[in-house]
Amino acid sequence: MRDFLELAVSATASGCVYALVALAYLVMTRPTGIINFAVGEWAAVAAFGGFLTLTHAEWPYAAGIAAVTAAMFAVGWATERLTVRPLVERGAPVLAPILALLGMLVVFRELISVGFGPDPRPLPQAFGFGRLEIGLVAGSYQSFFTIGVVLGLFALTWWFFERTLAGRAFEAVAIDRRAAALMGIDLSRVTALSFAGGAAIAGVAGLLVAPNTSAHYMMGLPLAVQGFTALVIGGVGRVEGALVGGLILAFAEQLTVRYAPVPPGLAMGVPLVLLILFLLVRPTGLLAAREARA
Amino acid sequence: MLELAGVHGGYGGADAVRGIDLAVAAGEAVALLGPNGAGKSTLLAALSGVLRRRGGRALMDGADLMRMPSHRIVAHGLAQVPEGRRVFAPLTVEDNLRLGTIRLAGASRGAAAERFDAVYALFPRLAERRAQRAGTLSGGEQQMLAIGRALMSRPRVLLLDEPFLGLAPRVVEEIRRALEALRANGLTMLLVEQKLDIALGFASRAYVLVKGRIALAETTAALARRGDLASLYFDLAAGAG
Repeated sequence: MRDFLELAVSATASGCVYALVALAYLVMTRPTGIINFAVGEWAAVAAFGGFLTLTHAEWPYAAGIAAVTAAMFAVGWATERLTVRPLVERGAPVLAPILALLGMLVVFRELISVGFGPDPRPLPQAFGFGRLEIGLVAGSYQSFFTIGVVLGLFALTWWFFERTLAGRAFEAVAIDRRAAALMGIDLSRVTALSFAGGAAIAGVAGLLVAPNTSAHYMMGLPLAVQGFTALVIGGVGRVEGALVGGLILAFAEQLTVRYAPVPPGLAMGVPLVLLILFLLVRPTGLLAAREARA
Repeated sequence: MLELAGVHGGYGGADAVRGIDLAVAAGEAVALLGPNGAGKSTLLAALSGVLRRRGGRALMDGADLMRMPSHRIVAHGLAQVPEGRRVFAPLTVEDNLRLGTIRLAGASRGAAAERFDAVYALFPRLAERRAQRAGTLSGGEQQMLAIGRALMSRPRVLLLDEPFLGLAPRVVEEIRRALEALRANGLTMLLVEQKLDIALGFASRAYVLVKGRIALAETTAALARRGDLASLYFDLAAGAG
C-alpha cells in the first residue's frame, strides 16, 4: 500500500507535467487549429533559462522562474509573428504553419546544442531535496510543488477561458472564426496571445521537470510526445481534458514499469501504445468539446 | 453615411464584386437585391473586412473602411449580422451578447449594461433565455440573438445578410417590427434580401446586383411596380451580358 501511494504521488507529479504540456498544445490549437510540436523544445529552452538564472546566476527561485516564464511568453509571441503569421496572411493552408513550426523545433534544439553543448545542466529543486509525509502519502518536495503549481495553473487557465471576456473571445474564435471577426475580435491578436501563452505554459513544464532530469538538449522530444498523447487521451475540447489525459498517461507508464514484467526501456513505448489506441478507438478524446452546432 | 466607390473584392481567383458604387444616407434603410451568386454577401464581407479586398473605397464618416482590419471596422461603428446567423452555439445567450461588446467604446461596465438593457428590451425573449445555450434556441430566436449580438457594439451602420431566411411568417413579422424600431431610432441599415416583398415597405431604396455589378438602383416602390423580380433579374443579366 505504502509502495503504491508513493508511486501514486510521483505518477501524479509527472502526470501534471504531461498535462501542462498538453495544455500548451491546447491553448494554441483551440483557436487556431495549429498543432505546434515545438512545445517540447520550448520546455527545453525554459529549462536552460532556469539553468542560467537559478544555477549560474543564483537568482532567488521565484525571481528566476518568473523571469524565465515572462521570457518564454515573448519567445512564443515572436515565434508566432515570425513563422505563423506570414503564412496565415498569405492564405496558406493550416499544414503550412505546422510544418514551419516543426522546422522551428529543429532550430530551437540546435541553438541549445550549440550554446550549451551536449552535457546535462543541473537545476535546483524549489525547496531543496527532501521528503514530505502526510500519513501514508509520501513524496519528494519537488513532486508536491509540481502538483501544486500545475493545479494552480489549470485553475487559472480555466478561469480565463470560462470567466473573462478575453477568454470567451478565444472560445468564440475556436467555434467560428468568421463570426468572431464580425464581432470585432482581433484574430491575429488571439493567435499571437495563444502562442505566447502556450510557450509560457510549456516553459513552466520544462522548469518543473528539469530539477529531476537536468536540462538537456534532447529533453524536448519525449515531453512533446507525452504531452501530445495526454492531449489525445483527454480531447482538445476542454481544459480539464488535458489534466485527465496527463494523469492517465503517467499512471499507465509508472504502473507498467513497476508491476508489468517488461524491461524499463519499454516503458518509453507506453505513450505511443496509448496514442495509437486512442486514435483508433476514441479519436475525440475522453472529454468531448461542448459542441452543440445547430 | 456610407459611400462606396469602385469596390472590388472576392475569395480566391476572380472578383465576385466588380466595381460597386452605392450610397446609404444616415438613418436610411437600403435593400440589396439580386439573384444567387450576384455578389451580395461578398460585398457585405468586403465592407466588414473579412475577405481580401482588391480596390475601391468605402467611406463611413470620412474614414475608408477598405483600409481597416475587421476589428477596427466594428470599433468604427459598422456591425454585421451574417448570413445563416452564425451564433456561437455552445455558448449561452448572455455570452454571445457579451462577445458583441468587445469593441464597445468606453467598455465600462455601465456601457455594456446599457446595451444589454437595450437588446433585451428589443427582444424580450432573449432575456428569458439568457442562460440557455444558443444552439438550443429556435431559428427565429437565433436570428434575434444574431441581431442583438451585432447591436451590442452600438453600431451606427448595421449590415444584415438575409435575416428572414427560413423563418416562419409570424417570426418574420416580429423581426421586421424590431428592425423598424431600430430604423425609427436612426440606425442606418443595408439589408441583403432575395425576396422583394419582405424588403418592400421597410427599405426605402434598393440596389439590384447582377454578376458583381449594380444593374439597377431604384426606390422600392418603383421596383414593386415592375412586377416579377425573377424575370427582371433575367433581363438585367442578359443586358449585362
